[in-house]
Amino acid sequence: MSMQDFKNKLYHFETPPPEEIWPQIADELTNEKVIAIHGHRKNKFLFYGASAAASIVIIFLGSVFFKKHSNSISTAERTQAKESHLLAKKVKDSISLNQQILNSIINNPQEKRQIVSKEPNSNVNTKKYLTVAGPEGEPVKISPKVATLIISADNEYPPKPVWSKEIRKWQKIMLSSTVSPTSANFVDMVQLAANKEIMDND
Amino acid sequence: MQKLLYDRFSSKMYGVCLRYIENPEDANDVMQEGFIKVFKNLSKFRGEGSFEGWIRRIFIHTSIEHYRKKIKLFNVTEVVENTIEDNDLNVLDSLAVKDILKIVNELTPGYKAVFNMYVIEGYSHKEIAQILGITEGTSKSQLARSKGVLKKIIDKRFGKTQ
Repeated sequence: MSMQDFKNKLYHFETPPPEEIWPQIADELTNEKVIAIHGHRKNKFLFYGASAAASIVIIFLGSVFFKKHSNSISTAERTQAKESHLLAKKVKDSISLNQQILNSIINNPQEKRQIVSKEPNSNVNTKKYLTVAGPEGEPVKISPKVATLIISADNEYPPKPVWSKEIRKWQKIMLSSTVSPTSANFVDMVQLAANKEIMDND
Repeated sequence: MQKLLYDRFSSKMYGVCLRYIENPEDANDVMQEGFIKVFKNLSKFRGEGSFEGWIRRIFIHTSIEHYRKKIKLFNVTEVVENTIEDNDLNVLDSLAVKDILKIVNELTPGYKAVFNMYVIEGYSHKEIAQILGITEGTSKSQLARSKGVLKKIIDKRFGKTQ
């Protein structure tokens, strides 16, 4: 007898089960059927209902959250972009305005005269200060004495004063001037020199 | 319909139950549970393979589930010297199937499960490993051990084989 025979003998082994088994199975099937159909349907409805409710809640919460999130992101981005745009515009405007003011002061002899002829005790109603726009657009008051010193060579921000050229010019004026400066202040000396230049031009 | 199915397959399936479960009361419970499963899952039978094979698999799984707690399988690494050989079984030629079944039922539930599934049902070690949740190596070692134990039982009962 080989393992194969052993298998064949036992594989086909059959014996009738006790008679009481079928009635028990039949009872269980009957009870199971009634309960199963009722319970199954009920469970099915409950399951689908719960699934639908859960889906609706999830979709609603998801949409609310997504909308809020996207709104906050887009608002923040928009605000940031707007701010940076405004800042750039302010800087550009201030540079442009400063440049215009300085050019007008430097190139207009009348304006220049008004500025340089201003004396503390003078009756002439001249401007004490020039107001220009700062980098942030804020008003900045500067003395007319130094107005001519501030000139940008290439419209860069912040403006780069072209000192050397102006100073050489003033040195030349001062050397040729016969008026002795009465003050030890360099700016006053410049003012005196400028006065001399204006008088010469006149 | 259900009664017809029961009448047609109950004897065969009871034979399957008795191969895995020695205790008749437990076998009766498995019979009942197995047929309930069959009737509930009739719509799932796709016609792949024989209908009897499908029912048989349900009963094998139900029997194993019933005894799963008692089936403790360990991987045996030592060499089993007393492995039963084909010619050792010559003595069984003269025995009735019920007597052979009694011998098989003397195996522990773990050995009996692997022996039945491999030798009688023709499952591979891979399939046995999947069903019982063990490794293929464990299945092989359990089979070797079960054959060794069977040899000892036969030797003890019928004298030295060969």
